[in-house]
Amino acid sequence: MKEKLLEIRNLCASADGHEILRGIDLEVGRGEVHAIMGPNGAGKSTLSAVLAGKPDYTVTDGSVGFGGKNLLEMTPEERSWAGLFLSFQYPVEIPGVSITNFMKAALSARRKAWGKPEMTPPEFLKLMKEKMAFVGMKPEFAKRDVNAGFSGGEKKRNEIFQMAMLSPVLSILDETDSGLDVDALRVVAEGVNSMRTPETSFVVITHYNRLLEYIVPDYVHILKEGRIVRTGGVELVAEIEKNGYAAL
Amino acid sequence: MKMKGIYLLGTDKLPSTVRIGEGEKVRTTLVALPGVAADVNLEVVLDGEGAELDIAGLYVCSGSDRLNLNVNVRHDRGGGISRQLFRGIAGGGSAVEFNGLVYVAPDAQKTKASQESRALLLSRGARVQAKPQLEIYADDVECSHGATVGFPDEEELFYMRSRGIPEEEARRLQMVSFLAPVLERLPQEFADRITEEL
Repeated sequence: MKEKLLEIRNLCASADGHEILRGIDLEVGRGEVHAIMGPNGAGKSTLSAVLAGKPDYTVTDGSVGFGGKNLLEMTPEERSWAGLFLSFQYPVEIPGVSITNFMKAALSARRKAWGKPEMTPPEFLKLMKEKMAFVGMKPEFAKRDVNAGFSGGEKKRNEIFQMAMLSPVLSILDETDSGLDVDALRVVAEGVNSMRTPETSFVVITHYNRLLEYIVPDYVHILKEGRIVRTGGVELVAEIEKNGYAAL
Repeated sequence: MKMKGIYLLGTDKLPSTVRIGEGEKVRTTLVALPGVAADVNLEVVLDGEGAELDIAGLYVCSGSDRLNLNVNVRHDRGGGISRQLFRGIAGGGSAVEFNGLVYVAPDAQKTKASQESRALLLSRGARVQAKPQLEIYADDVECSHGATVGFPDEEELFYMRSRGIPEEEARRLQMVSFLAPVLERLPQEFADRITEEL
């Protein structure tokens, strides 16, 4: 058995007094790709937000271990430094802050946290260039303000670019496929696939099976009413396609 | 050296009453930084046909700072254009009052006037009162105004922190983002010094 990177036990969480997660159990090993599927309102986005440390949610029970550490005790930035990445369903626009300055702030903070020296400007620019090319972003995007005025596809591409820049060990993709055309979907999927290594893991959250044609998961979990009701292999995707979520 | 007080760029005419004559253009930017306790009264009269005013301002107030910003723009002749853009941040127990009056005289047809004032509150103890006022006596004009006062966007903050940007730095970037439309009017070096001290 592979070492577990993420261990979620009986995770319960609520927002504004409403219970949304009602006892999630999930283990993700290194090098594995897990898909979480489920109908609207099942708690998919809540799960990703709770894992990334969004303050709007209260964890009422359970535990989450990440690389042997207690994830729930960490701030969102500490989770990022520890190697967690969340690709947002709705990436936030930050006018007046360029992608370059944004990534500079993100990278220098994590290197400081790791006790490593800052990257030199040439090193940083080289990395930016390399990763932008990797996701097919034009070099002029480096000067653009973060997501400001971006199309849906450009925003998602920018998420994958940031993921590549931060080289996380666990990436959670929250409905990264929503609102994407086939070309943008392929870019996202290729980005993810080429970052798959025996050390890196992915949790792909999706409502539809479309993305899973490109990113083939090792495990598929069905989330319904705040609980994982089924776990299986990729064959589960076809079953949902045929019978829908209601039958589960 | 820490910057303090009020800076006015682009003109040496203000802050007394400024008259803009026929076809003349005035572009200016006001900057008020922490450590301020002042009444700033700006009166601009668009006194000739086709006169143009482009004024912007930013303020950063903290502690017990107090700023009363009164901007009075008068369109006395027709065909004039005035644009006002103000962005401010208030923290600590600071108090800011913004009074923006746009007056359009009965003869000042074809006037175009816009005014936007937005403020970001960093604490429950800070206060910003924005009172935009339009007095329009001509009928063929285009005038708009908007004023907002609000707290920093939590989703934006979480987004930055999720990338590993520490909360304090993320809050600073939020301020940079908020002030950006006015900052970009300033000489780079001056803008950099302001953002470094946020």
